[in-house]
Amino acid sequence: MSEAAVADVESQRQGGLDFERLYRASRDDVYAYAAGLLRDRTAAEEVTAMAFERAYRKRSRFNPERGSARAWLFGVARNAALDELRRRSRQVELSADPVDVASVPDGADQRSELRLLLDAALAQLEARERELIALKFFAGLSNGEIAGVIGVSSSNVGTRLNRTMDKLREACDGAL
Amino acid sequence: MERSSNHEIAAALAEARPAPRQAFMQELDQRVAAGFPRRSRFSRFPLAGLAGRIGARSPMRLSFVGAAVALAAIAVATAVIANSGSEPRPVAIDSGPTTSHPSVQGSEGAPQVAAPESSGGVQYSEVIPFAAEIGSSGSSRAVSPPAVHSSETESLANGNLSHRREIERSANIALFADPADVSEDSTRVFAAVHDANGIVLHSTTSSGKGASARFELLIPSARLGDALAAFSSIDEVRSRHQATDDITEPTVTTSEELRGTQARVDSLLAQLSSAEVESEREAIAAELRAERDHAARLRNQLARLHQRTTYSRVLVRIESGPATESGSSWGIGDAFHDAGHILGIAAGVTLIGLAVIAPLALLCLLAWLAQRLYLRSRRERALDT
Repeated sequence: MSEAAVADVESQRQGGLDFERLYRASRDDVYAYAAGLLRDRTAAEEVTAMAFERAYRKRSRFNPERGSARAWLFGVARNAALDELRRRSRQVELSADPVDVASVPDGADQRSELRLLLDAALAQLEARERELIALKFFAGLSNGEIAGVIGVSSSNVGTRLNRTMDKLREACDGAL
Repeated sequence: MERSSNHEIAAALAEARPAPRQAFMQELDQRVAAGFPRRSRFSRFPLAGLAGRIGARSPMRLSFVGAAVALAAIAVATAVIANSGSEPRPVAIDSGPTTSHPSVQGSEGAPQVAAPESSGGVQYSEVIPFAAEIGSSGSSRAVSPPAVHSSETESLANGNLSHRREIERSANIALFADPADVSEDSTRVFAAVHDANGIVLHSTTSSGKGASARFELLIPSARLGDALAAFSSIDEVRSRHQATDDITEPTVTTSEELRGTQARVDSLLAQLSSAEVESEREAIAAELRAERDHAARLRNQLARLHQRTTYSRVLVRIESGPATESGSSWGIGDAFHDAGHILGIAAGVTLIGLAVIAPLALLCLLAWLAQRLYLRSRRERALDT
């Protein structure tokens, strides 16, 4: 059982929120989600700090009957990330330079090459799609947890993920 | 390069997972350990900590606290208003178990003057009615009745009440004295009544082991405070109660009725002067007499009402034994009555409070829900840009 799952079980058992344990179990995941969505490390750090601070201040409002502590935390983190996204959309258009495949070092293996292509493909995705990828592969949430965080059904999450993965794969294959 | 599979992409994504800087994590760890201290530019101010703690509370809890505070404020305001005027709380002036004299029946009865005379356990009272309609007098002490000046009555009858409220006051004070001091204390009570230009309606004293005294007084309302202070200084105060009764409404009603009667009298006089037939004159004259009688009754009623505000009823008891609550003006029945009264006020206050707070709370709830929906929609839109 993962540390995050243990934190969740412990929270459920105690009927409250063990914030310290939840923080230790989820801080890297929250950061990874924020960085994956925002594609900006500085902003991701701000969002991560903001998310944990908000969660800390609202910890008494966590209700175990409405979902896991981890899903609740990612709900808070998502709000913080969307606030940041909203703020930034007013200032500067998010963009990422396309990766020039030719710039990939000759010695790089196929996996490294794929990572570079993937990075470029992620930048081309819509924010909503990138969020799904960040929640699933960076934060490690299950489809059910993602469904709780973004407010759709679990099957809908699966469908959207498949579609986004296809899009990523096509982008990578197209660049080769 | 071969075409990549979803599985490979998933693996590459897992490898590409962004990792936080070590320095950032350490800083965040410290903030978590410290409980995310607020960094406010107002932190220098003394109330900043309190404001921070209040701000840290959940909105729902703050709403409850706010509602409770508002309810308490309304309760206090209502209680103050209820005590300051309209709630009638007459002081019960009981005749007492040892007195053989007629008790004063309300404020409309004829006030009487009693002179003190202590005589070994035998109660006495020398009753001297002062009211004109009673007319008999056998007292060595002449006391002016609390007459109401005709100009004042006319003023009331003319409706000059808009600038003031008519408040009847009453008080009840119990003193505790050594049996040997009861007589002297009684004398001091009479002196205090005299100093306040008050009137003794009824008094009884008894001496001996369980010596006691009882005085039913009329004190000019303007000097009630001074008189009560004087009574309180005579001996140890066992209890003291004051009450007010707003009699503005009956006063205004009576004065308006009097004005109407006077107008009818004037009209009848005019009719009488112009009447030419004898039978018509007699009919008008009879009606005129009836109206004049009615006007006289109303004037008397108005005068009595004004007397109730001019003079305050005060009951002074001097006791030397244990408190005689059963014989006093407050007992278990009064306790139930007071409890019911308080419960009634509390229920009324709660109802008023809910009537005020419920719509406000509903509006706040709707505004809060609307704000949440708007914020959620704006956040979702951020993903579409």
